[in-house]
Amino acid sequence: MSDEPAREEDRNTEFGPPSFAEPVRNADSDTDNDWWAPSALLFVLVLLLGGSTFLVLGRVHDASERLVTLEANRPQVVLADQAEAAYCTPEFKQVLERVLHACGLDGGTSRRGCQPADVKSLASINDSDFNALFTPLKDRGAVLLFDNAQDELDDGAKKLLDERFEDRLGARYFFVVARASKSGNMQKNRALSHRRANSVKFHLAETTADPELDRKVGQLWLGNEFAQLDTDYCQWPNSRMGEKCTTEAINRSVFVSWVDCRL
Amino acid sequence: MISTRLRGFSLLALLASLLGLAFAVYSSLDYADHLDRRVHDLHCSLIPGATPTPDSEVCRAAMYSPYSALFKDALWGGVPISLFAIGAFAFFASFAAYLLVRGSGVPAYVRQLFFALSLTPGLVSLLMLTLSITKLGGLCTTCLGIYLSSALLLVSGIGIAMVAGGRHAPPSTFGLLVRALGTMALLGAASVAPGLAYAAAAPDHTPYLKSCGALKSPPDKQDELVLLRGSDPRREALFVEDPLCPTCRAFHARLVGEQLIDRLDAQLVLFPLDSECNWMLSEPLHPGACRLSRALLCAPDGRAALDWAFEEQDALAAAGRKSPKALDELVGARFGQSVLDCAGSKKTKARLNAHLHFAAENNIPVSTPQLFLGTSRVCDEDTDIGLRFTLTRLAPELFR
Repeated sequence: MSDEPAREEDRNTEFGPPSFAEPVRNADSDTDNDWWAPSALLFVLVLLLGGSTFLVLGRVHDASERLVTLEANRPQVVLADQAEAAYCTPEFKQVLERVLHACGLDGGTSRRGCQPADVKSLASINDSDFNALFTPLKDRGAVLLFDNAQDELDDGAKKLLDERFEDRLGARYFFVVARASKSGNMQKNRALSHRRANSVKFHLAETTADPELDRKVGQLWLGNEFAQLDTDYCQWPNSRMGEKCTTEAINRSVFVSWVDCRL
Repeated sequence: MISTRLRGFSLLALLASLLGLAFAVYSSLDYADHLDRRVHDLHCSLIPGATPTPDSEVCRAAMYSPYSALFKDALWGGVPISLFAIGAFAFFASFAAYLLVRGSGVPAYVRQLFFALSLTPGLVSLLMLTLSITKLGGLCTTCLGIYLSSALLLVSGIGIAMVAGGRHAPPSTFGLLVRALGTMALLGAASVAPGLAYAAAAPDHTPYLKSCGALKSPPDKQDELVLLRGSDPRREALFVEDPLCPTCRAFHARLVGEQLIDRLDAQLVLFPLDSECNWMLSEPLHPGACRLSRALLCAPDGRAALDWAFEEQDALAAAGRKSPKALDELVGARFGQSVLDCAGSKKTKARLNAHLHFAAENNIPVSTPQLFLGTSRVCDEDTDIGLRFTLTRLAPELFR
């Protein structure tokens, strides 16, 4: 009688009729004859599981070793920084650095700007070499021209100054190099040059409202005793391009430019 | 005839299990490789053992997702679920081999038990498939291999249960219960064992979490960063992102997926990897990123605008490569002419430039995305599979 449920179950689940030739076995006594089958199952399981886990653990071990080595020698990454243009030669940077330190842009002093005597001693180079340093800035910068004995920016100068200042890109420092022509005495020209530099600074302070302007704008005011420009500089972008340009006119000016150098 | 059918289905079950095992092993190996905190190529193919490839974005997205591993709080990267699959498929391969060898000598209840157990990988695969489609928006091919193996295993399980075998009386109820529970326990033990071994062997990443520097100067009002204050802010944070950077999109999705973004009082530094405005690059990596960044600065809601940019990133990137006009059309269609006008203004250009100068002043790496908690920089390698582990340690308040 105990065979009947199994037989009935097989009838219900088989695709075909049950084979009565096959003897019915009691499931509880299977293990007596088939102990090897579950054992084989366990053996295969251990083999597959062990093998796979061993593979993964091997990779974990390798990664752990690399972790120690690689973290000790982290690769150098490129760091964000201000722009560094090709014209930033050691000579250029030397002048730039001396001017920045002496003229208060490094933040260590309340003094802003440099006087003519400072520049001459700081730069330690002659007039033409000093001017030549700024040659690569020809297109980046501009010359703002003034009327004789005047220090007020005209509309053309303001427009050009605004354009140049907005075109900052990656530069850290904005240079303002003011000059006065050779006409008149030295003291008067120095004062005039200083006022012209300040006109630029005041205009920027007014239009940008940038509280960090002092950390960006470096002023040099030169009298007529150092680094006068010759008429070649009339070809540089200036605020009076259509007008006649003479040696006197080009030196009644302020040269402005962002400087793409890191220090 | 019966024995042949049973053996056929058993063989199919064995092959399906071995196939699933192979996929699970390759997936686990990929995961284990990343424990060195570096980025590695992935096996991302329906051919088990195919060469790892760097072009495996979907597989990488799946690996970096919250669904790829368990216990991510406790272990860097967590315990990959593929390890559970290894145990399960090894079990089913062994079981199938047993059925194959015994043939019609297998009692009906054993075959039915096999069928019942074969439902588990099928159901888990169905769940993971649903998550892949609904949450990740793509199917990782290695995962697909596992899903297909599970489906094949289930089909063979059905076949094995339906084909009749020998004449066996069922054991007593108690005997049946013991056998069923014993087999389930064996499946459970097999499934858990690789994960336990992995957890025990995995290296401790805690010492490396704070080794990636800090901001020199925290952001101030002058930097005009984009505010991304969450609805339940618990920690100050700073993101450095490029709206056209796919890694940023994936990172953003992880923060959303982990429900962390709303718990951050974040600011965003836009750092487009595009030489049009970014002097730190010699050529554009993501053309149009500067233009799009300026538009984001002008959008009324920074968070919503960033979400939109990431959602539409593929179209925006394609437009950026095509022309500025094509990009403007997409931006204009979303935000209107006023935002386009604002994006082209000198003021906005200066604001984006200030973002780049913020990066330069702080000498942060030229890469995106970056995450800072307060002023501490979270290492790049901790922003993917190790994100939850890292944040649990560096910003535990996010999880309270």
